[in-house]
Amino acid sequence: MSLNLSLYTVSAVLILDNEGSRLYAKYYNSPSIESSNSTSHTTTTNNTNTNNNNNINSDPYFSTLQQQLKFEKSLFSKVNKVNQDIVLYDNHLITYKQTNDIILLIVAKINENESLIYSIMANLFESLNILLDNTIDKATILEKYDIVTLTIDETIDDGIIIESDPAIIVSRVTNAPAAQLDGVHVNIDKGLFDAFSFASKKISERLQQGL
Amino acid sequence: MSTQTYKKQDAYASTSGLPDKMAIFQECLQQFNASPVNAKKCRQLLAKLLRLIYYGESFPSQESTTLFFSISKLFQHKDSSLRQLVYLTIKELSSTSDDILMVTSSIMRDIQGGDIIYKPNAIRTLSKVLDSTTVNAAERLFKNAIVDKNPVISSAALISSYNLLPNAKDVVKRFTNETLESIQSHKQFPSNQFQLHEFYGSSTSKLPTTSYMYQYHALGLLYHLRNHDKMALMKLITTLSEGSALKNSLSIIQLIRYINKILLDDESLIIHLYPILAGFLKHKSDMVELEASKTLVSLQHLIKDDQFMSIITTLQKLLGVPRTATRFAAIRLINKISTKHPEKIIVVTAELEELINDANRSISTLAITTLLKTMGAGTIDSGSVGGESVDRLISKMTSLMDEITEDFKIVIIEAIENLALKFPAKHKKLVSFLTDLLRDDGTLPLKTSIVDALFDLIKFLPDAGAKQLILMNLCEFIEDCEFTELSVRILHLLGEEGPHTSNPSYYIRHIYNRLVLENSIVRSSAVISLAKFAAICGGEISKNIQILLSRCLNDIDDEVRDRAALSLKFIGGNHKNLIVNESKYDLSALENKLTHYLNDESNFINKFDISEIPIISNEELKSIEYNRKINRLDSSTTDSADITETIDKSKDNDKSIGDSVSNDLLKQQEYAQELSTIPEFSNYGKLSKSTITPIYLTEKENEFVVTVVKHFFIESKKLVLQYNITNTLPRSVLQDISVIAQPDNELYEEDFIIPINELKPDQNGIVYVSFSTPTIEDGDILVAFGNTVAYTNKDIIDEDGNVDPRDDGWSDEYQIDDLEVSAGDFVTPLYNSNFTALFDQLDNYETSVVTISGTDTLENAVTKLRNSLNLLPLDGSDYVPSDSTSHILKLLGKDVWGGKVVVSARLAVTGGKVVAKLEAKSETETFSSIITGGAY
Repeated sequence: MSLNLSLYTVSAVLILDNEGSRLYAKYYNSPSIESSNSTSHTTTTNNTNTNNNNNINSDPYFSTLQQQLKFEKSLFSKVNKVNQDIVLYDNHLITYKQTNDIILLIVAKINENESLIYSIMANLFESLNILLDNTIDKATILEKYDIVTLTIDETIDDGIIIESDPAIIVSRVTNAPAAQLDGVHVNIDKGLFDAFSFASKKISERLQQGL
Repeated sequence: MSTQTYKKQDAYASTSGLPDKMAIFQECLQQFNASPVNAKKCRQLLAKLLRLIYYGESFPSQESTTLFFSISKLFQHKDSSLRQLVYLTIKELSSTSDDILMVTSSIMRDIQGGDIIYKPNAIRTLSKVLDSTTVNAAERLFKNAIVDKNPVISSAALISSYNLLPNAKDVVKRFTNETLESIQSHKQFPSNQFQLHEFYGSSTSKLPTTSYMYQYHALGLLYHLRNHDKMALMKLITTLSEGSALKNSLSIIQLIRYINKILLDDESLIIHLYPILAGFLKHKSDMVELEASKTLVSLQHLIKDDQFMSIITTLQKLLGVPRTATRFAAIRLINKISTKHPEKIIVVTAELEELINDANRSISTLAITTLLKTMGAGTIDSGSVGGESVDRLISKMTSLMDEITEDFKIVIIEAIENLALKFPAKHKKLVSFLTDLLRDDGTLPLKTSIVDALFDLIKFLPDAGAKQLILMNLCEFIEDCEFTELSVRILHLLGEEGPHTSNPSYYIRHIYNRLVLENSIVRSSAVISLAKFAAICGGEISKNIQILLSRCLNDIDDEVRDRAALSLKFIGGNHKNLIVNESKYDLSALENKLTHYLNDESNFINKFDISEIPIISNEELKSIEYNRKINRLDSSTTDSADITETIDKSKDNDKSIGDSVSNDLLKQQEYAQELSTIPEFSNYGKLSKSTITPIYLTEKENEFVVTVVKHFFIESKKLVLQYNITNTLPRSVLQDISVIAQPDNELYEEDFIIPINELKPDQNGIVYVSFSTPTIEDGDILVAFGNTVAYTNKDIIDEDGNVDPRDDGWSDEYQIDDLEVSAGDFVTPLYNSNFTALFDQLDNYETSVVTISGTDTLENAVTKLRNSLNLLPLDGSDYVPSDSTSHILKLLGKDVWGGKVVVSARLAVTGGKVVAKLEAKSETETFSSIITGGAY
């Protein structure tokens, strides 16, 4: 059993729809810490890695888009409508949660701590649930894609777990900026709420007077 | 108008399909360059862009750079929610764009004075745009951020530094003090942490003030800065494990892994570190308990039995938790223990039985396979009680079998086969379970796995009754088998095994039915099968079969007719060996020779000589298969946790192990070929045996590395030692290298040495030393060689690796390890299912009592014995129940003179030592005494 001594824990985060096609897929490139051949992509002279897929992964299994899609497809057939929370598939540890018409999966190395990976998945799910107003489905995810991506980015960065407490994850994700209608901005929700609280205040005043 | 519909109308909506890539690209350029920037629109656009990226689309470098440039314009806008998404996009685009350095200053400005909301995002993005030349400029920023009071900022800085490690380790090293400070500090969220969302508005009192995640990140970083320094690491571990220095579960898990790593390097530290690990076995978080159990299980050879029990107790508790993932992890671990030490987990049997009905099928299957293993351990001594539990388990499984998928069924079938092989006494129950399953409906893969299991049982169960039972069941199965492939295989097996049973006519009847009722493929294999009965049984049976076969001469299918005619001819002409073959050619060697032969046309002058190919007798073939089987079962059960994969993987395993067996034979061929090219050895005749794995006579990192292979030429009484020498000195050339091998047995006489002329750095060469050996009749054939390497050393003077021609160099000698020729070198392992009969049969009885040195457990002693004697353990006697104090090991092999060797070793533990009484018998005279004398 090879120990994972690095912080790179998660291999991929996937959100698939009810037919197994991807809504969100991020495979994490975990560079070997000890290796000196850098994964640098910074210098201006360095044009060599430009034709690389942006989802480069040191795991050769996921290095191309085709391999990733193939993996997702066969994985989906394995987990679709089988609510088992956790499964070992193709030398990967996978935890997942299916709800409505989407499925959220976290892929990790086969000997990773199962309980840890599961709780990361569950907490990410919970965070999304809060941020998407208890409606995690395909339409909502696509509609609020900015929030979804930010949530995942605040949970896992480059395969490193940043935060696992859903309350904290949620507190880090910004809502979309308010629309700029030349300074005239009406928040219907707030308006209704205000009207309601104004009315209830008036009513209670009247009632008190009547008593 | 409800709020819901109001929101839907909002500009977010229209994103059900994937947006068009070029359209998004154009719109991005347009919107991002607009003035003033519309924050809301831009965030939507970025979201669409991210959707494309996360879908797998990638932008060509040119476009990506253009995009990057226009995105950098968004830094003008102050909106923090837009900025947060900008950072995410920059991070995703950084790997494909060229000019990412240009945003560095903007990012740095944000880190210094930006809003607290996007500051962490900025820090994390920074590591993506920095390279080893610009990282120095950010050093101050990083240090400040790491020690920041806000845990989110500190975490972000730590992660960012961690990502920089491969590129700029020396810079990150300077953060060591700050990182250390972070681990031990207590950081709290600022009061406005939860203000972004109304969701938390009312319940501020319950919100966490910190999650201590920065401890996890700091610890991870610190380890990589310090891992080369063991003392510093030990200090870190002891400080952090005291009290509750680490409050975050993830950081504790990380700490446990570091402890594991340090123990792998230095096992003696277990005394200090065990209490720490044991402490983590009882923790409020199940993932910590799990990690501690995992670690301790992997280190189980270091800990005592009662300490091991505390792991079991923890796992027992974890088996009962509601979380599926944890239960799964616990049972996976228990299953792993059960392969090696089934008796240790008998205490959790009750929990396991409950888990058979778990909703998660992976868990229930693992529970069953684990139970099957503990059954074996429990019943091996205590007959009746165990028998009941097997019954109970089987009845439980039978009810379960209807519900589970085929994948799992196959796993269970393998486990049952494994059990039956390990404990042949229990075969009846297990065979009947398998045959019941065979009768049920099932697909081809399922049936194949059952048939495979039964085939193996027939081959390897010592009991003839078991064989009959299975054969009869298979006969019934082919009566209505819809799979031609399986029918053919079974008919073949019936032909192989049937004639040797007590009532061959029973099988003949079944086979003949196939001849009447089945398709042509099955019919033709039935014909061959019948012919085998005729050839082996002879007499009345042979006559009857000839009548049956002559009817087939009128079959409508030509293959069936051909086979019938051919068989009749062979039976009539008494060419028994054409029907039944006792031996096979070694196929891999044959393939190798044939390719070799075909590669060079000049070979065609001579006929291909088939006699060069080693012939494997059925007996040897069986031992190869048996070895393969046992290895496969062991390796697949080690990971049998990986249920769903076992199926794919075991195929690979099968292949690789199969390869390794045939590789051994191939290797031998290669050696023979190599040696035959050397003129000095041309008159040595046939190579009898070579040791397969080279033995290291030096440390692997010595100035020169020496390995040795022993080649025995029994007929010509020669021993050739092949010393492979590698020069690892970077600046020296070695010349005139020879090895002086000094035997301690006078009967060995050195003939000659073939030295190496020159070895440049990193080159390797071979020194051969040839000896005349005593014969087996002389009795004293064991020997040890003292080895010394003699050479001339010259320094390299220029870059091309040349040496100064005037330099005479200096001669040197170097003592390397001794080499022993032991009894095991003269034997190859052999398989036979009936040990006792074989033992009674052989003569030349010798016995001796030896103390097995360097071990205090039976298990190690057994491994040691079988390795030093190079014999095959039979009847599963290499398995030692760990609570027993005595054990009988049954070993079988074939010596180089072609005779069989059997050894029965009675082992007992007395006073911390393992004493073995060896009884050896051999076909070759005097060899049994060599075996008993050679064990240690």
